[in-house]
Amino acid sequence: MDRQGTTYTVIFSFIVTFAFVFLLALTNQATIGKVKLNQETARQSAILSAMGISYSSQADVVAKFKNIKTEQRKGVTLYTTTSNGQTIYAAEFAGGGLWSTIRGVLGVNEDVSRILGLQIISQGETPGLGGRIDEPWFKQQFTDEKIVNGQIQINMHNAGTPDTSHDNGEVDGITGATITSTSVGRIVNDELKTLRSVLGGNS
Amino acid sequence: MNSAPIIAPLTLLFASIFTSNILLANFLGMCSFIAISKDMDSANGLGMAVTVVLVLTAAINWVVLHFILVPLGLEFLQYIVFIMVIAAVVQILEMVIDRVSQSLYMALGIFLPLITVNCAVLGVVLFMQIRNYAFVQALAFGLGSGLGWWLAIMLLAAMRRKIDKAPVPAGLQGPGITMITIGMMAMAFIGFSGMLKVQ
Amino acid sequence: MSDHKPATVLRENVWTSNPIFMQVLGICSALAVTNLLINTVIMTVGVTLVTGFSSLTVSLIKKWIPRKVRMIIQTLIIAFYVIIVDLVLRAYMPDVSKNLGPYVGLIITNCIIMGRAEAFAQSNAPIISFWDGITSGLGYMGVLLVVAVIRELLGFGTLLGYQIMPASFLPWTIMVMAPSAFFILAFIIWIGKTIQFRQTKGATA
Repeated sequence: MDRQGTTYTVIFSFIVTFAFVFLLALTNQATIGKVKLNQETARQSAILSAMGISYSSQADVVAKFKNIKTEQRKGVTLYTTTSNGQTIYAAEFAGGGLWSTIRGVLGVNEDVSRILGLQIISQGETPGLGGRIDEPWFKQQFTDEKIVNGQIQINMHNAGTPDTSHDNGEVDGITGATITSTSVGRIVNDELKTLRSVLGGNS
Repeated sequence: MNSAPIIAPLTLLFASIFTSNILLANFLGMCSFIAISKDMDSANGLGMAVTVVLVLTAAINWVVLHFILVPLGLEFLQYIVFIMVIAAVVQILEMVIDRVSQSLYMALGIFLPLITVNCAVLGVVLFMQIRNYAFVQALAFGLGSGLGWWLAIMLLAAMRRKIDKAPVPAGLQGPGITMITIGMMAMAFIGFSGMLKVQ
Repeated sequence: MSDHKPATVLRENVWTSNPIFMQVLGICSALAVTNLLINTVIMTVGVTLVTGFSSLTVSLIKKWIPRKVRMIIQTLIIAFYVIIVDLVLRAYMPDVSKNLGPYVGLIITNCIIMGRAEAFAQSNAPIISFWDGITSGLGYMGVLLVVAVIRELLGFGTLLGYQIMPASFLPWTIMVMAPSAFFILAFIIWIGKTIQFRQTKGATA
């Protein structure tokens, strides 16, 4: 067959494409288990963190997550467990940041009067500016933070230094990253509203 | 798409041209950039072609991604699909230019097929996918990245005309001094960060 | 082409025709990740393997590839290996995969890989083509590792995540940003070319 002819070209292209796509599908199948496990443990470790539960390794995450119950209430997926005799909850959130979608987990106590913790699963904000929402100092402001008037306030005036009070319902934003900081505030407050309607908390 | 980023398409457009320039800030699109910036006319023509390709591929690949790849669970094939769409768009553009303007076709010549392997084009599509842009945002991002690349290549071509006449040390001639020039341009563009009330 | 003994190919790809400082190819995809050494290592190893195996595959089936679809088939082969690298990273090095983000996919458009497939693999035997691909990758790796060491050390004070600089060291912010990569690269090109000029001058003198 003429190697430069159209028929040969078409047949060759089909065979080669088919062969490679087939091999890729095989590789995909072979690795998809591990990839999904990685994604799952990333999610699970975020949920554990937001609830204030620490872990030491990927295996530990899987083990500790077995104590977490998953429930569906009014269409919302909730993660719950008891800690120090209290029932605590966590839910995943996803909202628009400035450059990208910010995904994370919010942990709250039973009557949605305090945030237990905030954890970020993924974000694509500006590295060094908005991207700092993933830094420990920023997230720690949310740990055990009291919710005032049903909302958390992002304070841009002292932005850059962590708000040390956990009873004022305020969190300091990031200097030079106003939109990302306020986006986080907006996303958290929207999630609090959802959690209140689902858990029936007051305040 | 209610969890798409909130940045307004117009802001995204300006940001892609200046503060987040696909070449000067994201390092994409360098190869043909360095080769073509020797001559202002081909730089201009290539910049235009890249912009057109970027808008078209951003739009088409967005549709392919959200209506074909994701629903069918074929995301692992996205690199292949994206590059094939880019190749097809470039091929069609080549035929259109040939029909519409022979002189432009002659000027651009072999550079057109090179757009297919231009990192900036595939890069824009991949960023669009990772950042979960809505359709209009993807268009703004594609257009802005194209215009930004075009602007950068025109500036570099203009500067190289002057530099070629300057007494550059032997080891720096050609790629070396070009790199330094690009570095300075990158620094200058960082200065645009305050222009937009983006952050 | 001249004799393709492995040693000659090695010397050419790593030094005399180094893809970066002599030919200025393929810098796109990797310069962005040179702010951290670990990302650069993974990235350049990936590029080296993809170049090697793509050249090998192209060389193996070159007799059957029709001229008209040559570039598309080459692109398909390169994309194939890149996807495999991407899948392996996602499965076994998820943190690195997240850091590298879209830049792994951009290996497909790396001019070096297509360049070697066209210039070498299309007209040479499989084993030497594989070697040509690997050595080109090594030449590429060498330059980028230097850039990354400088950028991470001066920009973060660390290397591979380990603190190297003393606590009192004030990081050079510019090293974290784009322009530094261009300047360092210019410097490397300058040094590389100057040494080569001296060598050829010495040889002909």
